[in-house]
Formats: sequence, structure tokens, C-alpha cells
Amino acid sequence: MYKVWISIKKEFYLLFNDKTGLSLMFLMPLILVFIITIIQDSAFKIINENKISLLIVNHDSGSEGNKLKDMLDQTRMFNLIENNNIDFSEVKKEISKENAMVALYIENSFSEKLNSKTIILSKLVMANIGMNDSVNKKELISLLPPTIFFFNDPVLQDNYCYSILNLIHSNLSIIENTKMLEGLYSEMGYDSVPQNIKESIINNKIPIKRIITSVDDNCKIPNSTQHNVPAWTIFAMFFMVVSLGSNIVKEKLSGSFIRLKTMPTNFALILFSKQIVYLFVAIMQVILIFSIGIYIFPLIKLPELTISSNTLGTFIIVIISGIAAVSYALMVGSISKTQEQSNGFGAISIIIFAALGGVWVPIFVMPEYMKQISKLSPLHWCIDGFYTLFLRDGNWLMLYKPILILLVFSLSCQIITYLKLKYDKLI
Amino acid sequence: MSNPIIVIENLSKCYANSNEMSLDNISLKMDSGEKIGILGPNGAGKTTLISIICGIMSSSSGKVKYYIQDNEVTYKSIRNRIGFVPQNLALYNELTAFQNFEYFGALYRLSKKQIMIQYELLFPMLGLTNVADRKVKTFSDGMKRRLNLLIGIIHNPDVLLLDEPTVGVDIQSRNAIISFLNKINGKGTTIIYTSHHMGEAEQLCNKIAILDYGNLIAFGKTKDLLLQNNVSDLMLLLMKLTGEGFRDNV
Repeated sequence: MYKVWISIKKEFYLLFNDKTGLSLMFLMPLILVFIITIIQDSAFKIINENKISLLIVNHDSGSEGNKLKDMLDQTRMFNLIENNNIDFSEVKKEISKENAMVALYIENSFSEKLNSKTIILSKLVMANIGMNDSVNKKELISLLPPTIFFFNDPVLQDNYCYSILNLIHSNLSIIENTKMLEGLYSEMGYDSVPQNIKESIINNKIPIKRIITSVDDNCKIPNSTQHNVPAWTIFAMFFMVVSLGSNIVKEKLSGSFIRLKTMPTNFALILFSKQIVYLFVAIMQVILIFSIGIYIFPLIKLPELTISSNTLGTFIIVIISGIAAVSYALMVGSISKTQEQSNGFGAISIIIFAALGGVWVPIFVMPEYMKQISKLSPLHWCIDGFYTLFLRDGNWLMLYKPILILLVFSLSCQIITYLKLKYDKLI
Repeated sequence: MSNPIIVIENLSKCYANSNEMSLDNISLKMDSGEKIGILGPNGAGKTTLISIICGIMSSSSGKVKYYIQDNEVTYKSIRNRIGFVPQNLALYNELTAFQNFEYFGALYRLSKKQIMIQYELLFPMLGLTNVADRKVKTFSDGMKRRLNLLIGIIHNPDVLLLDEPTVGVDIQSRNAIISFLNKINGKGTTIIYTSHHMGEAEQLCNKIAILDYGNLIAFGKTKDLLLQNNVSDLMLLLMKLTGEGFRDNV
């Protein structure tokens, strides 16, 4: 037991003396998680929280333009900016100056044309059911539909524009239907539509119940913190390849491994000590970076990290990710001939794995073929484990896949390490 | 009659990427309590022989037999009785001298108490007590060599194998190391060492094995070999037996 303790102590001494390695494992990810979370926060907010700025230029001489404006305001999707003092040609400039992301231009005759359209259509309906025969077909043919002009900033994605257009259409339909109803009642000789009928027709939408598919009902909205904190923690874990990899190369080159061969000790003890110490490092990285996400981010107005209620699941994913990172570092250290090789190959491979695995850019925005390629990165499966816990509130059934794949990855790295050291006659 | 401790029989070694034999059919008998110098030019096979004896590498053919009180034992059972001082300074530069000593001591299965006893006994002998808490990276070559030696004997081995233990050290450190080796040999430790310093070997060893091109070309008591070859010192003996041509630019 004393032998194990001294071995672990020696690894700690070596670690504390590796100032570069420590800063790469702790300082660098802290800086990165701050910078990237702040940068990505606004992008996530556009999708989740921020209202789209909508410029309304209402030149309508009637009241329907105002009605449309009020209805859009009530959707709470837009930050409405009304400016009726600019003409059609100036709307484009307002968008270019980034005063708004989208704009609606309502023409002067909007209400007038809408009224004409609904009156004629009402007459047509009445004529069709035999209650009126005074439809002027020429009037119908010469009818000009009311037009609304929609402008959008080119940076706004098409699917987002279509969503906004559909929303405007939906509100226009309500205005149009109300007008139609008024026209029909007027044709039938009523002064106005009874209020209860008007309201029930306007509000007669089929309800759609939204269900977010987390396992429990504790729905968490993806935001920059929920993505970046686990993602950069995993990156930090795997970046231990620089410290641990060069630690192994140093021992190989200094002849320490050779000396160990002459001693009555099992080489597994040496590797075990290294793994224990660096697993401890991985756990400390998680505690440190997660604490920043929970306690410091809200102080600088970033979203707070919400961790899973599945504590055991979180602990297991942390440990498995740590084991995968340590195993990879051992493998890189064992196959490298020099410290430069270990540092260079180790760091570059982790950057590539991180890019593929969804650390920099979330996997869901990747094209389909990249999503498939990303599965080759161990970091992908670590992030998948954390996503399952933090966003989907995943249970064990959902966690088994990342856990299994990371275990297979770790085992493969350990076997390669053993075979390489054996081949080099170091063990 | 002395007891054998290591007997080498027809030992040969050919490295995987080489056509030449690094050791060619070597046979040697090393008795308990002897101080044996393995000498020879560069590439003669000295380090290969010592590496095979202490179990770092395997031979291509032949055998190394180990004995405890005339009974042949396996390498595994005698490993804890063999000490090895490698030519490379296999030390952790970021650790202090004591931390290095403590770590390797623990790997030799010594308890904390035993390590402290050895520390108090050995560090003063090689003048390292005052620097025990200093990191090895601040040490001179001589201090590193002395620490390297202390770690090789931390567990009081019966046999101590040293591969050029005085490379790059000043005369004071060399003198301290040789005196120390004589002292522990006096307490019964068998010394097997390689060196390029003939004067040092003559000062230390009572038996000499000379290797050249992987062959054992002479083996016997130092005095007898000098007498048989009619030379006054080991350097002349080596030059006579191995020639004056360079060996490391072939």
C-alpha cells in the first residue's frame, strides 16, 4: 500500500512542477469557456430569447394597418419599431443600417382595398347561396388585392423568414375573416356582427399543445452555457495529453522505465498511479469549470449552468470521460518518441477531435455527413453524454451508448499502450 | 573456495536490426564478493552484457544462472537482491533527491522506516545530506551520479551492477564513488561494473573481463592478466588486446 501511495505522491509532485501543463489544463479552458460562452450567448439568445426587431412603416389611411400592427405586437415575437415618416425607398436603407432585421411596409390604400375585397367576396358568397343577385362581375375582375411589403436582413436564415411570414399571414387571415364576417352580416341586413360570434370565430384556433421531449418534465432550454461549459470541460480533460503524454515520454527517455524493469514492481502500478492522478485532475477540471458556470456566469449576466438531477449519471459520465482522456494521453505518450512529437501530435489531434466532436460548433448545426464523421471523435460521445443529462434529462437507457463507446475507446487505448511499451521492451 | 553468484553460459545476443553479434558465445563465472570490471572499447558489448544480467533485455541464446548460497534460483527470485545503476541518469529532475530516493525505495518494497534508516546511513556517505531537499535539476553531474548510485543500493543488494557510473564527474566525485564501492564490497556486496576509465578499474576491481566485438578476449584476476601480458597497467593491456583502431566510426 505504501508503494502505491508513494507512486501516487510522486506523480502529484511531477504534476505540480509542470506549470505549462497545469496552465493548459486549467487556465486555458477557463479563458476559453468565458470567451466562447459570451460570444455564443447572443447567437443562442436570437434563437431562444431575443425578439426580432421589426420595423413597421404604416402608411395606411384606414384602421386595418394599425390592427395588424397591434396583433403582431401581441405575439411577443418582435421588438416593434414604428416609423411612418419614411417612404418605401427608405425602408431598405433602415435594414442596411441595421436599425431592424425585418420590416413591413403597409401601403396607403391597404384598408380601402381590404374593405373592397371583402365586400365583393361577401356579395359573391350571398349570390352563390341565392340570397343576392347583384354581383358586378366587372367589379370582381378589377379588384386589386391589398399588398404588404416584407423586407429582411440577408443574414436572417430563410427558414426563420418563412416563420415570420407565416405569422404575418396568420394575423392577416384573422383580419380578413373578420372583415368577411362583417360583410356577410351587412349583406344580410344586420348593422354589425354580434360580439360573441365575432370573438368565437376570431379565437377559433385549434389548440396545439407543445411537449418538449425530456424524460422528466423538467425542461431545460439549450443555451450557450449548457453547451459550452461541458464542451470546454471535455476539451480541457483531453488536453491533458500535453502534460501526461510528455510525462511518459520523459520517463522513457530518462531511462526510468528501464530502471523500473530491474525492480520487484509491477509496471501496472506505475500506469495506475498516473491514471489515478490525472483522473483526479479531470475531476478537478469538472468541479472548477462547472462551478464557474453555476456561480460566476450569472454574475456577468450569462445563463447559469443547470446540472442534471441524475447525480450518479453525471458522476459516471465525468469519470468515463476522464478515463477516456487519460487513456488517450497514455497512448500518445507511449507511441511518441520525443516530447515534441507527443505535444504536437497530442495537441493537434485533440483540436481536430474537438472540432469534429462538436466542442466548437454544436453537432446539430453540422451537415448530415459531418454528423456521421463526428461519431469518430471520443469528444463527441462525452458531449453526447452531457447533452443527454443536461438537456434531455436522460436516464440510464439513454446513457448506455456513450458510456459503452467511451469504455471501448479507453480499453483500446490502454491495449495499444501496453502493446507499444511491450514492443519497445520497456515493460 | 568461493561461491558462484552469477554464471554466464554461452551467452549470445544479436539485435533485431543487426547482422553482427553484440555478444558471441560468452561464458563467465562471477563469485560472491568479487569486484569485476567489464572493460572494452565502444561497441564491445559491455552494456548489452550488463543489461542481460540484470534482466532488462533477453539473450538470443545461452543462459545466465543466478545463485543464492550455491543453489540456482530464478531471476525473479533474486531480482530484489540485485542493484542496478544505469548509465543514463534515471532520476526525476523535478523531484528532490530525497523524493527520488523515497520513490525508488518504495518500489523496492522498503517500508517508510527502512527508507529513513537507509537515508540516514547512505546520504552522508556520499555527501548529499545537505542537498536532500533540493530538486535534482539543480544538481551538478557529480551529485546526480552519486544519487544515481545511492538509489541502486538503497535495498542493500547482494550484487550491484554499474554501467559506467562515473561518466562526466569530477575527480572528487569519482574518488567518493570508488571509495564507496570499495566500502560496500567490504560488507559483502558483489560489484560488477563497466567503465572506460582504466585507472579507476584498476583501483577498484580484483577481476577483469575484456570484451571486443562481442567476444570475451580475456578474463581473470587483474594482477594475473597484467603479468601474463607483460604490461604495467590496464590501459596498456587493453590497447595490446584490442588494438589502436577506432571502434565507433565503423
